[in-house]
Amino acid sequence: MRADEDVLHGLMVDGLGGDAAAHAALLRLLVPVLRGFYRRRANGADDDIEDLVQETLIAVHVRRATYDRERAFTAWLFAIARYKMVDHFRRVRRLHPIEGLEEVLLAEDFEPAAAARLDVEELLAILPTKQADMIRATRLNGLSVAEAAKAGGIGESDVKVSVHRGLKALMARIQGGAR
Amino acid sequence: MNTEDLIAQLSQDVPPVRRRAVGRRLAIGIALGSLVSAVLVALVLGIRPDLGLAMRGATFWMKWSYTFSLAIAAVVMVVQFARPDSARLRWTWLLAIPVTLLAVLGIAELARTPPAEWLAMWLGNSWMVCPWLVLALAMPIFIGLLWSFRRLAPTRLRAAGAAAGLAAGALAAMVYCIHCPEVSAIFVLTWYSLGILLAASLGALLGPRLLRW
Repeated sequence: MRADEDVLHGLMVDGLGGDAAAHAALLRLLVPVLRGFYRRRANGADDDIEDLVQETLIAVHVRRATYDRERAFTAWLFAIARYKMVDHFRRVRRLHPIEGLEEVLLAEDFEPAAAARLDVEELLAILPTKQADMIRATRLNGLSVAEAAKAGGIGESDVKVSVHRGLKALMARIQGGAR
Repeated sequence: MNTEDLIAQLSQDVPPVRRRAVGRRLAIGIALGSLVSAVLVALVLGIRPDLGLAMRGATFWMKWSYTFSLAIAAVVMVVQFARPDSARLRWTWLLAIPVTLLAVLGIAELARTPPAEWLAMWLGNSWMVCPWLVLALAMPIFIGLLWSFRRLAPTRLRAAGAAAGLAAGALAAMVYCIHCPEVSAIFVLTWYSLGILLAASLGALLGPRLLRW
């Protein structure tokens, strides 16, 4: 059964009426919906995602009185899911200030990506220019080996070897933890 | 815990929910808190001896209508913040009505009074304690609202805290009227409002910490 607005809304209303079976069915239908929601937004481990899903299910259950039967169910659900996600990140990383949830939310996908990017650039800086450029082209910018070779004006095998050596050097650097 | 087990466990306890459950929950929190504040006024501050007489005069009702309408506007905001999907805050401008009306009244009052008495009228006898007492009396109501929020789902915690503080402050000011003998509109406009604002600021400060769920 596809979990669409009408189905979910119907089950929720029945659950609010005291129908435990409808409530259980609703929560079960929400599991894949929430998993999808969090997977798309939080690139965390599966454990984290499952924690978030469970926390959200509990919130949906405990705070179900705040659902207004006249309004869209999914809007209510995703408002809770978003809140739980922001709360989760805040707890895990203790990085974000507590106010301005909406702004944090918008920045949420961008920020880890940007931070990772900075780290990578720092690492790449220790490599010879050619190796760094080829890693950037093939691994970060998504060019194929042929395209990177053309862009860099070097042979395809040269690209492969540069990337291979560069990555190996980076790996050694990271594993050694030297800095 | 396994998600399937969790669902089974949660589904054991599915009491029916009334349509107006959010309003009810808030009303109970507010009523209990206000009751505690009223008892505190009666026991600690004392009810003004001329309350019966004052309730027949216009001043008392001026103070009550001001604080009551502020409380209504604030509670309207609290109700909106109680739901997670409160998209855009509506009816905030309601707050401006009582403030404007009281300001007009205050100006009319000043026009009738010789300027030499303005300062005395503005400060009354209790301007130093009035805001603090309002703030103190707001605490039981604020705590009542915190209890209400435990089953509600605010997602904008600072704003929800501020609205709860505002509502608690306005209701506390209303309760405080049964003690406070001050009569001038500009006194109420300044010192009552200051106490209410203090409560709202405290709510905004504490909201993110206390309303988390």
